[in-house]
Formats: sequence, C-alpha cells, structure tokens
Amino acid sequence: MPAGARDNAAVGSDAIALSTEIYRPPTPGFDELFEHDGSPRPAARALIDELRRLGPEGLLEAGRRRDAVFVQQGITFETSGEDGPSHERPFLLDLIPRVLSGDEWRAIKRGLAQRIRALNHFVDDVYHAREIVREGIVPWRLVAGCPHFARAVHGIRPPGGVYCHVAGCDLVRHSDGTWKVIEDNVRVPSGISYVLENRAAMARLVPELFASYRVRPVEHYPQLLLGALRSVAPSAESEATVVVWTPGPANSAYFEHAFLARQMGVELVEASDLVVRDDVLYMRTTRGLERVHAVYRRLDDDFVDPLEFRADSMLGVPGLVRAYRAGSVAIANALGTGVADDKAIYCFVPEMIRFYLGEEPILENVRTYLLSDPEVLEHVLARTHELVLKPTGESGGRGVTIGPHADERELTALARRVRSHPERWIAQDVVRLSTVPTVTGDGSLQPRHVDLRPFAVFGERIDIVPGGLTRVAPSEGSLIVNSSRGGAAKDTWVLENGEEADRAGVGGFPISDTLPPALPDLRYGRWSEQQQQQQQSTPSSH
Amino acid sequence: MLARIAHELYWLGRNLARAEFTARAVEAVFQAELQGAADALPGVSFGSGGLLAMLDSVTKHVPAGAETLGRLTADAELPGSMLASVERARAGARTVRDVISAEMWEAINTTTLTLRRDGAAGWGAHAQPYVISQYVKQRTALIWGVADRSMLRDEAKCFLDAGGLIEVADMVLRMLRIALPSDEVEQADGSALILLQAVGGFHAYLRAGTAPPNAHPVARFLLFERAYPDSVAACVDSLHEVFSTADAGPRNSKPVLRVSRLAADLDFQRRALPDGAELTGICTSTQHELARIDQDVSERYFAGAVPAGWG
Repeated sequence: MPAGARDNAAVGSDAIALSTEIYRPPTPGFDELFEHDGSPRPAARALIDELRRLGPEGLLEAGRRRDAVFVQQGITFETSGEDGPSHERPFLLDLIPRVLSGDEWRAIKRGLAQRIRALNHFVDDVYHAREIVREGIVPWRLVAGCPHFARAVHGIRPPGGVYCHVAGCDLVRHSDGTWKVIEDNVRVPSGISYVLENRAAMARLVPELFASYRVRPVEHYPQLLLGALRSVAPSAESEATVVVWTPGPANSAYFEHAFLARQMGVELVEASDLVVRDDVLYMRTTRGLERVHAVYRRLDDDFVDPLEFRADSMLGVPGLVRAYRAGSVAIANALGTGVADDKAIYCFVPEMIRFYLGEEPILENVRTYLLSDPEVLEHVLARTHELVLKPTGESGGRGVTIGPHADERELTALARRVRSHPERWIAQDVVRLSTVPTVTGDGSLQPRHVDLRPFAVFGERIDIVPGGLTRVAPSEGSLIVNSSRGGAAKDTWVLENGEEADRAGVGGFPISDTLPPALPDLRYGRWSEQQQQQQQSTPSSH
Repeated sequence: MLARIAHELYWLGRNLARAEFTARAVEAVFQAELQGAADALPGVSFGSGGLLAMLDSVTKHVPAGAETLGRLTADAELPGSMLASVERARAGARTVRDVISAEMWEAINTTTLTLRRDGAAGWGAHAQPYVISQYVKQRTALIWGVADRSMLRDEAKCFLDAGGLIEVADMVLRMLRIALPSDEVEQADGSALILLQAVGGFHAYLRAGTAPPNAHPVARFLLFERAYPDSVAACVDSLHEVFSTADAGPRNSKPVLRVSRLAADLDFQRRALPDGAELTGICTSTQHELARIDQDVSERYFAGAVPAGWG
C-alpha cells in the first residue's frame, strides 16, 4: 500500500469519527448528507469539513447576521396559527444546504419535465375533447367536481397550447432513496424568490461552504420566466408588454410578486391598474392606456374576473376572460389549470403520462386512496392511524392529519368528518421524508425532515432551475414543511458534475476569467509627485 | 481657485468613485465565483484575475482567488483596495477641509476610520467582502449626497464632480474591456448579469427593458444610454457641463473642446452603429480619449503638471 493511500484512509476514518460527534442521522430513515453509518456522503464530505471548522459559534453568528440582513431587506413571510392572527417575520433560512449530485438532478429534471408535459396535455384535454375521460381513465365526476374546474374557459386554447407556464411539483425522498411526487402545483406556485434570495444570502453569509463546490446558479430564473412569457404573448410587435399581477401588498407572497417584477424589469400591477376595452387588456399609465400582452397573474381563477368567476371579487378585472378568449392577451398560468393540481386528480397523473406521452413515469406518486369509493373508504377508515389524510380543497398544509402523530380523539373526529364528505378527502401512505442536518437554537445540528419544490418554466420548452426550494419541518419528527406553518427553508445545491466535490479537480474558476488587454495603469494623483515629475521633466539649467 | 486645491478636489472625486466601483466589482465577482456557470450561452468573462489586473499594476502578480478579493476590501498594502482608495480620499480631503463642508469631511473621515478598524479585524474573515463592499457602497453614496446638498455650486464642486465623472467613465470602460475581449465578440453574447452587477446598472437596465441582459445590449447600454447616469455617454455629457462651468474661457479651452468632441462622437456612434456591431474598438478609443482629457485637465488647470504613465 503506497504511503499516500494509507494517509487518505487515516484521514477518512478520522473524518467519520468527528462527523458522528457533530451529527447523528436518524435511523431508520434517509439523510441527505450522511450515510446510515454516520459518515458523510461523498458529495457532502467537504461541506461537513467546513461546517466543523465553522463550529456552533460560527453558525450562530452567521445566523444572527442573516436575520439582521433579512429584516433590513424586507425578506419576510407571514405566519398564521390555526386561525390566529398573522404576523411578519424574517424568512427562516437554515444555513446548511442540501446537496444534490448532477446525476441525481438530471433524473429529477427529466421526470418533472415529463410530468408537466402530461399535466399540460390534461388541461388541454379537459377543456376540449376530453379524450382521457372518454377512454375511461379519469372519471368525469372527479374532473367536474373539482373546485378549480373552470367552465368559463371551455374551448379556449392559449398560444402554443401552453397552460402550465410555471409549475412547482413537490418532491419527497423515500427512506429507500427514491424520489416521489407528493403534490403538483400548477396554479400559482410560490417560493421561487426565496430560492434566489436564499442563494444570495448563503453566498454572503457563509461563502466558505462553497469553497470546494461548483454549485449551479439559479439567478437566471426571472429571465427564463420573462422569455417564456414573451414567447406566448400575442404580440405582433417585437417587444411584448408583460406585467406581474398581484392581489396587493396584503397578500402573503407580495414580497415574491415585487421581487419577480423587479428582476424581470416589468410593471407590478393591481386590478385597479388594468382595464379591458373592446376585448383588449390595457394598463393605466401616465401616458394613457397601454396595451398589455401577457399577464403573469398571482391570484386564483376565482378572483380574476367578476363577470365570469366570483361576482364579489374586488381583485378582478371585468372582461378579462373575454379578452383572453379573444386571444388578445396571454395569461400565465392559463385559467382553469387548477383542475390538474387537484389532490384527487393527482392519483391519475401516472396514467396521464402513459396515455398522453406513451412513456413510463420517471417519478412515482405516493400511494393515494380516493375516498369516494365506499370500499376504499372503509379500508382507509380502519387504518387512519397509519395514513395521512388531506382535504382536497385546501393548500398550505391546512387540515392535513398525519395518522401516526394524531391521538385517538382526533382520529375519531376526523373519521366523522371524512364520512360526511368522503369526496373531499384523500388518504396517502405516510412518507418518512428524508432529513438534512439543520442548525438548532444552540448551534448544534439535528435532523429535520425536508421536501423539495423545483420550479419549471414552460414557454417554447421546459426549463427547470437547478435545485429548488427545500422546505424544512419546524421541529424534530414533524412532517409538515409549509412555511405558513412555521417551516424553514434551505438552499439547494445542484453540483455541476458527478458525486465528488470537484472544484479542485477541474481547476480554474467557474466563470470565465480572461486577463484584459493592455489597460493603462491606474493613477493616484498625488500633488507632490506631480510637482516632482514636472521638475524632472523640466530640462536642467546647466 | 488654487491649482493645488482644484487638483486635490479632482482626485478626491476620483478616489471616491474608484472605491465605490471597486466595491461593486469585488462583490459581484466574489458572489459569481462561488457558483458554477449557468446553463445558457457562455456569458461575459469577468473574474478575479481580470479584476485584479484592472485595478492594479502592482497586484497583477498576486494570485487570483477569494482571498485576494478579500484583500481588495481593506488591505491598506494594496493600492487597488477600497481602503487604499478611501485613505487617499481622506488624505486629499484633509488638505481641502476649508473648501468642502464639515459634514462632508466627517463623512469621509468616519468611513476611513471604520474601514481601518474593520480591516484590522481581518479582511481575511470570510463574509468580509460582502460586508465591507456593502459598507463602502453605502458610505460613498452618502458622501456624494452630502456634497450635493452642502457644497456651493462653484468651481470647487465642479472639480470634485469632474473627478468623480471621469473616474466612473474610466472604470466602466475598464470593466467593459475585460468583459468583452477583442476578437471574441460573437462568443461573448451570453448572460451579462455579472457585468451589470459589477458596474452597478442591474436594476436600471432591467427597467429600461430594451433587450435581454446579453453581453451586447448590456455593453451598448453601459456605453451609450444617456438616461443612466453611470453610462460612459452620460458621464462625458456631465463632464462637459462641469468643465464649461468651471473654465474661465471654455470657448478655447482644450479639455472642454476635447470633451465636447468625445460627447458628439459617442452620440454619433450610438446612432450609426448597427445592433451587434463590435464595441471593443470604441471602448479602447474612448478610454484613450479620456486619458488625453485627463492630461489636458492637468495641463490647463493644475499648472501644467505632467501626469505619469502616459507616454
């Protein structure tokens, strides 16, 4: 055995000993950074070394700086109790990133693109030929009974046939290491601004963690989105006018709306800024009405047009659906997409992929039970203590009951509610989400469950920014990761190549760095020097 | 006013602007180098090596990398560091304390002292490039703001502004020349977000909203966009204004005439050049022209002191 190899082996075992001392991965379960035996995964080794160097004190110190910076920059989120009042607090960013290898990411990316393409086909189908219903794959009563099914947009096909311009599917990793989709979001998925801000904050607060890695950047997302919106805008002129439509500053995701508008360099509009004249959408500007070609809307279908949806909506623009139907404006995401991310329709996505694309799904679903079937209902009610029950009409983790974490009384009450409206509920197997070490109040590391929401942009093609939002459960053992329920987030690193921490291997710098052509030297302009030079340049008198 | 005072004010302006642009560039490069390359086309090239070469003939021999970027914040030994620029500004301000307002002197002095103290606390500390760059950007903005609100609009203010303007134009051109290496124009039409962050027009460019942030439209914007105050064209225009005000006889003043011709040239090129035309030549010639203006300024206003380094 050569001396060098022996040294490496010694260093390796040493690292294992030290790492178990800072963190103990949960058993059973899957930890993203550590193997079962407590040694760091290959991709995480350099990161763990840096964390150890930083120590609890360093992490707490960086955490204090983080809170100060977030409050200063107004990067905040509204939290709510079960029904209680909401308040603004700095977005919780955990300083330990999740690391995904390039290969892992490629598989996820392919799976997501496939899934989003199928969902997009489904929306198109539901509002046109309804082939999938006629083939008997998806029952019509589920589609029509879905609260987000929008009769008003029947027969409308947006430019390019794209409905789901922005999609965020929630992924979880099972304890055997496989990825599963737990939920699709194709209405107004939020969180991308936090992905970008988290990365910027990580680079500022703990740059040393990046030292051994080449992490793929995420900052181009707003440009991807703008490109996609322009590509679907019905504009004959070269430059389409795109706007971001927010319900207003009271909305919990207002920060994100403003962020995206700023990063894309487009106007952030509210309903009162928009007006429809002769089936064309305009915004009121200081120079009169200006045509709008594409709207990235951040409010639900229900509110967009009081003439077609909820008549009591104060946030909507009367006549918008008429303009949309006339094809004079693109709306992203298209109206009526909510039918595809309904929790009951979710069960059918693998079938959709086979039906529309003729492919086998790359990413699996979590096993789900539709309770509208009486037999299934009885089966589920007998096993409520080992399943997760979710109301189909809610989002943000509200109303979710996790069987193993609930007591007898809660389960009995739940069973009663489910029995009265079984079609409003689904049940899913409990997924033991994977964990990532997370900094706790005293600077030590503890496992917390996480999911992953990658963001896809569908314009002329599907682009997915590397990584996504890793949401973290607020307390040990908790499986609910929604930020509205006190969950935190992590930066998600997708490494450029393979498994190994590879900056050293490739050499050089990730961004190209050429030396400049001969530039004139900088000058510093000291008065005395100038005088001296003047004297030197004056011919001497003898 | 005294030639010496005019000279000090001019260089006070230059040093302040230099510190600010160094801060912008260091922060942008530091952040960008932490991450990998984007999916899309290869973007402009702008890394710590180029930055160092741009900032200092002395530091050309210092190895590029995160640590050197850290030194560019508050290592007084490096003439190209922010601290060194701010120290020079303070030394200059001391000699013109009677001309500038007390508020302005205090703002400069506090900035220098804080930077010295935090620099001593260790520019090697990891999060320092961000923290210090951020501080320098805020403080230079404050110093300029105080100057604008407290100084009489006289010759003194003109020379202070002139120094700031010529330095901004020079720094923008330097960064453009690194980011757009000659003969590689087509290759460079990827993302230029880093260039915008380094120069500082990120938000302005997006709001102007004329084209995606690729190397070419960004370079045009930074060169020609008069509505953006840190563009080369806007700086040259303002430079013309301040020299016309300060000069006793602007009609036959060499620097005024030269600046006026450069402004007209830039305007002509903006209109005449087709989209996607090569810009490196213009950057080079404009930078040389600015150097000649600098020389003319020295000769006409600062009692003919011949600057070093221009042969």
